[in-house]
Amino acid sequence: MFFALALIVLFCTTHGIAASGTPEPALIAGVTSGEALRLGEQMYREGVLPSGEQMQSIVQGDIPVVGGNFTCTNCHQRSGFGSAEGLVRTTPIDGTRLFLPLSKFKGIPVAKSRRSAMIQNDEELYRPAYTDETLARVMRTGEDSKGRQISDTMPKYLLDGRDMEILIYYLKNLSSVQEPGVTDETLHLATVITDEVPKEDREAMLGPLQFYISNWRLSRQMERSARSGAYLQEGTAQALRAVSLTVWDLKGPAESWQTQLEEYYRKGPVFALVGGITTGEWAPIHRFCEKHKIPSVFPITDFPVISDTDWYTLYLSKGLYQEGETAARFLHGRDELSREVSVVQVFRKDRAGLALSKYFQETWQGLGHKAAQDHALAGNETLTADFWKRLAFEHKNAVLVLWLTAKDFPDLANFPGQKNQTGFIFASSSLLGKRLYTLPDKERKSVYITYPYSLPREARVYRENIAASLKNNKVPITNLDIELKMYSLFSMLSGPLGRMRSYAYRDYFIELLEATPDLSVVPVTYPRLSFGSGQRYASKGCYIVQLTEGPNPELVKKSEWVIH
Amino acid sequence: MPPIIKSCATILSIILVSLCVISNAGAEAKQNYTSTFERYELPDVVLINQDGVKVPLQNIFSPGTTVLVDFVYTTCTTICPVLSANFTNFQRKITPDSGRVRLVSISIDPEYDTPKAMKAYLKRYYAKPGWDFLTGSRQDIDKVLKALKAFTQNKMNHFPLILVKSPAENRWIRIYGLIGTAELMKEYEKARQ
Repeated sequence: MFFALALIVLFCTTHGIAASGTPEPALIAGVTSGEALRLGEQMYREGVLPSGEQMQSIVQGDIPVVGGNFTCTNCHQRSGFGSAEGLVRTTPIDGTRLFLPLSKFKGIPVAKSRRSAMIQNDEELYRPAYTDETLARVMRTGEDSKGRQISDTMPKYLLDGRDMEILIYYLKNLSSVQEPGVTDETLHLATVITDEVPKEDREAMLGPLQFYISNWRLSRQMERSARSGAYLQEGTAQALRAVSLTVWDLKGPAESWQTQLEEYYRKGPVFALVGGITTGEWAPIHRFCEKHKIPSVFPITDFPVISDTDWYTLYLSKGLYQEGETAARFLHGRDELSREVSVVQVFRKDRAGLALSKYFQETWQGLGHKAAQDHALAGNETLTADFWKRLAFEHKNAVLVLWLTAKDFPDLANFPGQKNQTGFIFASSSLLGKRLYTLPDKERKSVYITYPYSLPREARVYRENIAASLKNNKVPITNLDIELKMYSLFSMLSGPLGRMRSYAYRDYFIELLEATPDLSVVPVTYPRLSFGSGQRYASKGCYIVQLTEGPNPELVKKSEWVIH
Repeated sequence: MPPIIKSCATILSIILVSLCVISNAGAEAKQNYTSTFERYELPDVVLINQDGVKVPLQNIFSPGTTVLVDFVYTTCTTICPVLSANFTNFQRKITPDSGRVRLVSISIDPEYDTPKAMKAYLKRYYAKPGWDFLTGSRQDIDKVLKALKAFTQNKMNHFPLILVKSPAENRWIRIYGLIGTAELMKEYEKARQ
């Protein structure tokens, strides 16, 4: 009985309702605790005051800055755990460390730039615990809790008493409660697989992932730090916690996935999703992650959610959307074509055809061209010789964009009206698969193919090495392309998993992923994988390629990796 | 009209409070940057500006114009916002007597920084005509960064740098470190001499 009552009180407290059922009394600067957190977050992340006005400050002594152009989040990050960039080291200001003395082993970010007298050393960053008073002072004047003037790069804010009180309340609560899916012993992860994925693709995603997780360990240097007591002194020995992986199998139609995900999460909360695979759209899982603020790293999908603002899912690339966009940009840059050239897209009304054609169309029109004409084919429509004859006749001088699979792609050797075309036919390597290499010799110069990966010749050695490594470790190779994408995941994941140490917070995990150095040295699947704050698609490009002549053709680049 | 500090009173109050504290704390003014004279040879590359227009790099540095160059990317969190806010303030401070001046930001994240992203960035910093943002192929951008000694293997390891090209000759001032607008104006005047 007592337990039940305690639960009710806890629920009411956390949901801003007094036990009597009346609204929670005002706690902070005339607003409820929940409202203060919301307003504080708005100030911290967006630079907007509770009044709706923009925050105002001065940096570097005389540069006025408003609102969102330089917020607390910029340097201290959403987690409040700080950062290091160039000559600037930004100390942690999360709810725990801000009100404790900052000293050795307290997670001060390590300088990234080359050694310079301008970079503050650790001792210069140590300070006594802040109080509400000294915190307000440092934000207004730059004088820290030790009475020293801190770096001019920390803005000096013009904040009245109430706004300051709200911001300080927010900081006291920032990253101060343990996240779901984390215990002192284990960091729980999950991977999502939908039931239509072919067995060999499922194995190709899951096999390497399970191997990686079961063998995951800190780098030797980190382990030495942990064993020598540095982490113990800091109280972050949980760096040595184990990592577990659960498989969340989703069955049935996509509309039912949300319920299944909620049930999995209720039964066993996880810190993050890693990998995962679907042949369909990732959107339902993406939305689930946004709702619960769960990071999801590198799911394998051709259909990611394209968003400039969503936060929690980090994709390998924009999938098929990237190919559509690249074809339009490449075509736009062809000076030999008239700006008024007509363009015809032929595609099936299925998920792939719609994705490719949509992004081609949007980009093409966005570059100032008249809309391409769309020939959308119903699922069962057969592409007869008559169809191609009619198309050739009706669009004699058009660029043809054929977003078609191997089965639908026309035989170009006998393509009617081919000689009357502009000399430009576009196709997708993702849809054509191996059919790509069967294009007739004499037509290869007019076919431009979107290819969103490192070229086979550039990646061959790396692919062979990784395949050998998988074999040595007795991980079955059922689809090497997928297994190589998993390799990219592991390359991205290892640093952040180790560097989180005790500070296993989801925002911090994402910040560490965002700050991971560009992966370009081993272009196993993509020439370069990179992030930055808010960037959510690691691979940004796609080549336009053509086939060389002869019986064993190779792909040659006809464009840069990124076409502006 | 940008909603920059609304009144002189606001800006003055922040600066005055800061000055009082500095005075009370007895802190000694410490130079947080270095300024050196350099010579650079520009590579023959064509970059792309925020409007998607191709711009031969050499054309930017025409005689008679002082050119300020910084190296930023649109999703940078700490250094670039300060550099860009300084350019904003610099544009506000220059007068017809300040001579012909051009500001150029060169992206160090050319894959992500499309003309659209750069245009939005300039708008966010209230850029006036005369401030361009350039991107290009990774190869060309690397050539420029290497020629101007601004290259880092990884954008996450970049450093705060502004170059000021003298209007008359191949003489550059290299400003390493984060600075205020008064300091930037001083370096700018030095370049014009």
